[in-house]
Amino acid sequence: MILAGLPLAELLAIFVAIGLGVGVLYVLKLRRRVVAVPFSILWARILRDKEATSLFSKLKRLLSLLLQLALLALLVLALGDPRAAASLVRGRTIVVLLDASASMQATDVAPDRLAAARDEVRKMIQGLGGSDRMLVAQMDAMVTPLGPMTGDTSALEREVAAVTATDTSADFPRALRFAADVLRDADRAEIIVVSDGALGPASDSSGAVHLGDVRVSYVRVGNGGRNVGITEFSVRRYPLDKSRYEVMLELTNPGSQPEDVELQLLGDGALVDLTKLRLQPGERLPRFYPQLSGASRTLEAKITRLDGTHDDLPADDHAYALLPERRRAKVLVVTDGNAYLEAALLLDEYLDVTQVPPAGYVAAVASHAWDAVVFDGVTPAEMPRANALYLDPRGPGSPVKVKEAIKSPGFDRLDRKHPAIRFTALDDVNIAAGHRLQPDDGDKVLGASSDGTVPILVAGTRGGYKFVALGFDVRDSDLPLRPAWPLFVIDCIDWFDDEDARYLSSFRTGEVWRIPVPGSVGQATVTLPGGAAQPVAVHEGRAVMLGERSGFYRLAYRFPDSGGPESGTTFAANLLDPAESAITPQDRLVVDGKDAGETSPFHLGVRREIWIYLLLAAALLTALEWATYHRRVTV
Amino acid sequence: MLPWRRQKKTAASSEGDLFDDEFQRKLEYLALVSRRVFAGRLRAERRTKKSGSGIEFADHREYQPGDDFRSLDWNVYQRFDRLLVRLYEEEEDLAIYLILDTSASMGERASIGAPTKLAYAKRVAAALAYVGLANLDRVTIVTTSDRVMERMPETRGKARIFKAFRFLRGLEAEGATDLGDAMKTFVAQNKRRGLAVLISDLYDPQGVERGVNVLRYAKFDTFIVHVVDPADGRPNLQGDVLVYDCETGDEREVTVTAKVLDRFAHAYAQYRGGVERFCATHQVAYVAAPIDVAFDELILRVFRRGGFLR
Repeated sequence: MILAGLPLAELLAIFVAIGLGVGVLYVLKLRRRVVAVPFSILWARILRDKEATSLFSKLKRLLSLLLQLALLALLVLALGDPRAAASLVRGRTIVVLLDASASMQATDVAPDRLAAARDEVRKMIQGLGGSDRMLVAQMDAMVTPLGPMTGDTSALEREVAAVTATDTSADFPRALRFAADVLRDADRAEIIVVSDGALGPASDSSGAVHLGDVRVSYVRVGNGGRNVGITEFSVRRYPLDKSRYEVMLELTNPGSQPEDVELQLLGDGALVDLTKLRLQPGERLPRFYPQLSGASRTLEAKITRLDGTHDDLPADDHAYALLPERRRAKVLVVTDGNAYLEAALLLDEYLDVTQVPPAGYVAAVASHAWDAVVFDGVTPAEMPRANALYLDPRGPGSPVKVKEAIKSPGFDRLDRKHPAIRFTALDDVNIAAGHRLQPDDGDKVLGASSDGTVPILVAGTRGGYKFVALGFDVRDSDLPLRPAWPLFVIDCIDWFDDEDARYLSSFRTGEVWRIPVPGSVGQATVTLPGGAAQPVAVHEGRAVMLGERSGFYRLAYRFPDSGGPESGTTFAANLLDPAESAITPQDRLVVDGKDAGETSPFHLGVRREIWIYLLLAAALLTALEWATYHRRVTV
Repeated sequence: MLPWRRQKKTAASSEGDLFDDEFQRKLEYLALVSRRVFAGRLRAERRTKKSGSGIEFADHREYQPGDDFRSLDWNVYQRFDRLLVRLYEEEEDLAIYLILDTSASMGERASIGAPTKLAYAKRVAAALAYVGLANLDRVTIVTTSDRVMERMPETRGKARIFKAFRFLRGLEAEGATDLGDAMKTFVAQNKRRGLAVLISDLYDPQGVERGVNVLRYAKFDTFIVHVVDPADGRPNLQGDVLVYDCETGDEREVTVTAKVLDRFAHAYAQYRGGVERFCATHQVAYVAAPIDVAFDELILRVFRRGGFLR
């Protein structure tokens, strides 16, 4: 037996000090109420009977004192936290990795796998030895320790009760590395993974996780169930007809039985399409919905069984997406007349085009704030305070230096990833003549002739405004006759306007999201799908957050010092992870080349913390003292 | 005894006029009742145990030389051929001594506002005195504690009842009880035998028997009115208390529980039973007088018990 709390000397000092106090209080008698009686002989007579047993009376009073001293001894001993020496030596250091990924929401075990996992961990906590210590960490896209390494069972149980499942996949390698760090140099270290086993390999880009001598145990949760999940979901507007959009999604049946499901597509909450599908075992079924219209903002996909019930994992039965927001862009075209340009600009009905001759440019550019200015064969002396597309720029006002004329240039090299020329086929454009452009540092050459050595299409930024410069007159080429021409013009304007045609229709949960916000915004608030709001840090013009729930999010912010109304943006997030949709529990868990074994034994209800029993004994003695006092046994 | 434990008893003064008009009307009633019960004896017709010249036949005895021939019962001689002398009870006015215990215990109250035994005893004494005076007996009232304290001299005649009232009004409870010594003093002071009515709670540490025996040995007809406060047998106490005797100052620490109270009640009953047994075995008239019984009813009980009116 050893004392884990106060040392013996201090305990003795406390006992002696308080014991003396108890003794003094015991010796001091309470002042009794004085009562006059007419004939005390009668009292003497009945007290004489008691005096016959005075020795017993004294013993009973002594018993009262002994009871109090025993009570004190128990309490003081409890302060010492006595423990069996054997249990201290055999103490384990345990990190429990409690899987809270999306697959743990599966309801193949009632009420769900996470609840079953919590029960398993609770059993372990209740079976902890007096000197065992445990740390419980929630394992999802992050690893979140729920408390310190402790032997306090009530604290551990509170931590376990607070775990909730997320719509993310588990980052198993990160969790293992965390556990290994925690258990470094610990005695009898053990990692217990409580999961359904859908964790992926125990390795990441840094390589396989090595745990050394740390024992890894695996507690399997789940019985296996049937599930069909939406594993891909994407939507985009057509570049040339932004009122229409197309949807691509994929359904996966990871189970071993065919599944009949009903797929609903909802636009702004209204049903857009309804399809009944049969998925064969292991089938991944892509679906493509072209030329859809009707929805202006939100799109949702839902699957249900044909009998109207949900499968065992509802989390992947619902996917969300947002269509890119449309707004009208004000475009100023400075030209003496270019039918090709006018035709191209007519294709996008969301463009508000104003055409002026070069002479009217100065007045026109000062009259409005323009989203884009197109200079067709005209180059002003100064760049406008707007984004600008220069077609065949000339003179000193050009954003890039216009060098020597070249004959029959071509797009030998193209930066196809740049948004200004996306979806365009410029390789075989025939050009009669043009000029070489000389980009500045930081400019991007989007197209170059002569094996890529002569830039003829350059993009960049001047004074905070974007520009694209095309080094030839389009009328000297067959470009206006090609589909690439209107695409090029609209791509350029979309790029200027930050309307990203590659708009991300939804984020994936479990990743760090970087949502663009206006540069002056320093603080934002995000409203989660459940309705809860939380502040989000803004870093370099982007709100940064880790998304754990699928659904629609609302990011709200205010411009500093503006005092104006709240602005914001809405975005969607989805699980879309075939690995999480495969909810069949894994029987084995391989870590560091070894199978995770059974947990070392936990004995339900066995507690080796003696101080608890000492307190119980003290409480019992108090009750005994109370009873004997009120029954006048010890007085 | 600590001074704060002592409190001057002012029972008499706090209980108003004990002998108000209502009380006096009841006395008249009691006197009438006593006459009705013993009709025909208009004055001083109490029998003494001495045989003498009265007219009430008492007994026969053998003739002895020197006896008055006029007393021979010739009818008996004619029938049995024996000479027997007729004996007559001598008639005389009786001396009634009302011995009132005024020890401190008589002034104890069971609770605040409760009547004291002394107040009750005073009314009983006044009633008995009135009946005695109405019967033309000689009534003397003495008070006693551990000695004879005060004395209302012998008086007779109904009109003297107010003297008795005045005397009784001035009495207060104080001192310890010692009936033995007090009765010795009483007997020495009162040579004329008569009826001694002891009105007391009989809380005598030395024992009641000593005092009663003194009266008996001195040939007094002894009548005991035992003033009883029912609360004495079941005191309203609970918990840890220090009880002290209001007469002797004797202190005892007691933890009062229901069990202790039961034992006390038992001891109290035993004590009262002992007194009653003593009186019964020694042919001493005894009446218990619970103070929660109306005093006039108590007086009738005394009459019924006999011995006071003969």
